[in-house]
Amino acid sequence: MGKNDTITERQLTVLIFVSLLSPVIRVLPASAVQLAGRAAWLSPLAALPAGAALAAFTRYARKNAPEGVGLQDMAQLALGGVGGRIFGVLFALWLTFYGGFVARSASERLLATVYPNGSASVFIAVMFLVALITASGKTKTLSRTAEVLMPVLIIVIAVVLLSAIPDVTAESLLPVTYRDAGKVLYGAVPIFNVLSAFVYFLFLTGHIRKPRGERPRRFPWLALLAATAFGVTFFTLGTLGDKLAISMENAFFMVIRNLKVLGVAERVEAVVVAIWIVTDFIFLAAILMIVSEIWRTVTGVKKRGAFVPPSAALSAGAAFLIAKNAFTLEAWSDILIPGINLILAVIFVPAVMGIGKVRRKY
Amino acid sequence: MKRLIFVVLALSLCLTGCSSGLTILSNYRRIENIELVRTVTADISGEGVNVAVCGTAGEESVARMYEKTGSSLGVALGELILLPLGRDAILSHTENMLIGEDMARERLNECLDYIERFSEMRLDTGLLIVRDGTARDLLKGLTGEDTPAPDVIAGLARNISKTGEGYFFTCREIASSLADNGCALMQCVRAQEEEKLFEARGELNIVPAGFAVVREEGGVEFLSDQETLGTMLILQKYKSRNVDLSLPGGVVTVSVDSVETKVEPVFKKDGSLERMSVRLALEANVICLKGEADLEDKALREAAEMELSRIFREAAESAIRRSRELGLDYLDLESILERQAPLKAEETLRNWEQVFPILPVEVEAESTLQRTYDIVDPPQDAKEDQKPWEKMIRSLKGS
Repeated sequence: MGKNDTITERQLTVLIFVSLLSPVIRVLPASAVQLAGRAAWLSPLAALPAGAALAAFTRYARKNAPEGVGLQDMAQLALGGVGGRIFGVLFALWLTFYGGFVARSASERLLATVYPNGSASVFIAVMFLVALITASGKTKTLSRTAEVLMPVLIIVIAVVLLSAIPDVTAESLLPVTYRDAGKVLYGAVPIFNVLSAFVYFLFLTGHIRKPRGERPRRFPWLALLAATAFGVTFFTLGTLGDKLAISMENAFFMVIRNLKVLGVAERVEAVVVAIWIVTDFIFLAAILMIVSEIWRTVTGVKKRGAFVPPSAALSAGAAFLIAKNAFTLEAWSDILIPGINLILAVIFVPAVMGIGKVRRKY
Repeated sequence: MKRLIFVVLALSLCLTGCSSGLTILSNYRRIENIELVRTVTADISGEGVNVAVCGTAGEESVARMYEKTGSSLGVALGELILLPLGRDAILSHTENMLIGEDMARERLNECLDYIERFSEMRLDTGLLIVRDGTARDLLKGLTGEDTPAPDVIAGLARNISKTGEGYFFTCREIASSLADNGCALMQCVRAQEEEKLFEARGELNIVPAGFAVVREEGGVEFLSDQETLGTMLILQKYKSRNVDLSLPGGVVTVSVDSVETKVEPVFKKDGSLERMSVRLALEANVICLKGEADLEDKALREAAEMELSRIFREAAESAIRRSRELGLDYLDLESILERQAPLKAEETLRNWEQVFPILPVEVEAESTLQRTYDIVDPPQDAKEDQKPWEKMIRSLKGS
């Protein structure tokens, strides 16, 4: 990697935050409500400790890792050359496929919310073209873009959620008793699953240059992400009720469709969806960047740029072929994608980092 | 790379929808051609559905109305929008959908599903059932040169809860209630023929006609005015109403501007549910007096308060009675019980369907006359045998 393509720990964390807003909206509130029912609005808070524990472990594991070493380097140190490379190839293939899933889901959301008669193919093609250009550039550029966008996204989320307050009713959210604790924890699983996707970004930690005294501060950003998930679930459930919300795929956007901002502006969903699609672009670009970074380390090539176009092409192919229609995509989204993510992000990555730590490789 | 970026940006212009030539957006419309639909009607017509729309063009409401019949609501509305109207009708700002009685009875779910699924429409669209006639005829009758039907309906929506005659439930509220309770309340309206006091108004007026209860599996039941008032009180949808109280010496008209409703479960000592308690605390102001009732008299005021309490208590009791007769908990008693005593009432909630028809519900109402707006001794109607100087002396004595 180029010496001038460096980012700070904070920039990487902001990139994670902006990217993960995309799956948060895809997963919530439907998957949490399916498991936790009316108490689902507490599940994001229940997911936070587990997310924080994973963040704390990864921070501990790479505490003494030298500068310029990313997760793939750590895997090769921990598992040896062959084992580490198998680990890398596995993640590169998975993330290539996952990128396709992200693009397809985003385009389906656009069709369901704003462009009912449009074509998913056009959206996928444009998303990959833009992501290809972004991912071919510097990690620094993408991270700074995320930094610029972050305040806009936070303001939009805050305005949207505050505008939904008048429609929230107590009967849609209460009662919740101690007997719902199990359900709340169960509903926290898909949210933790989304939060855990931050470990994929550890493949980019090789770009981090630590200013003197800076420590990784992942927790406040995970807390902000969990708070966003809480807000989305709370206001959607409070407005629609659990039984109606569960019957909708994009219940949050249903709520947005109804919003009147300060009694002045209405039909703001196109603006909100357009802003949300930016998080999909950033996430997709980051995934392509991570995939090319993995291939660069696995092959030992100096620059990762050459790996971006083929990765983008494969990922786009996956986006087109993954599902014939929205029903098939939903089936992927319900079980397979979260299941694979849980195994890779929550079991594989910490295990490999732990092995390296035990073997005192870093 | 810069060339590639340029090409991508140029291609992305196709997504903006700013020009019909460049856009990929299939539902592209020029803003000057748009006619915003504000009211939609839906009636059963043979095997299909008849829809009619009325809306706004530019900044002004217009009295134009279009209709179409199709095999389903989706087909009829789809074709209506594409008809050569000279304008492009869009449904994004639909405020209300008037549904004919038969349509509500047989195909209400079709209306709800269309609104929920079609991204152009909003979930907060008000849904009304038209009684004793078709929704199309009501819309047509309402429409006059100076009285576009959507404006008349919007006026009713703004003010209906201030007269205590109803509440416009939205598609969101109805769909949510159907999902939660298996039934939902809807506002009914009916056409009323009135003399045209000015030429530019429509032939008909629209008046509230109480609530209807719709079932998830289909079917509609209608509530009387008293039951509708009671339902509004228990669900806290009530805002205001003027009521005449017959008292010794005259009729007092009061405006009941505030009703605080408390619905609570009452448990026995052994922890089992004894009854549900509904308490109404009313506050009213005297707005008019006919006769010679002396409101300075405390006993008379108490009589007025008791009479007022009776009227509202009976309304709430009739609403509860009807809800039980129908076996439908649209008053949300189960939800209230669950929210207030989720653990204590667990057993009752488990057997709610058996408990609900026999559960004692006690209604209490307490009224307070707050003020008479500074008029202590109101002017009396002149009596035939009263001389002018007697009136003058009487007024001087009063002062």
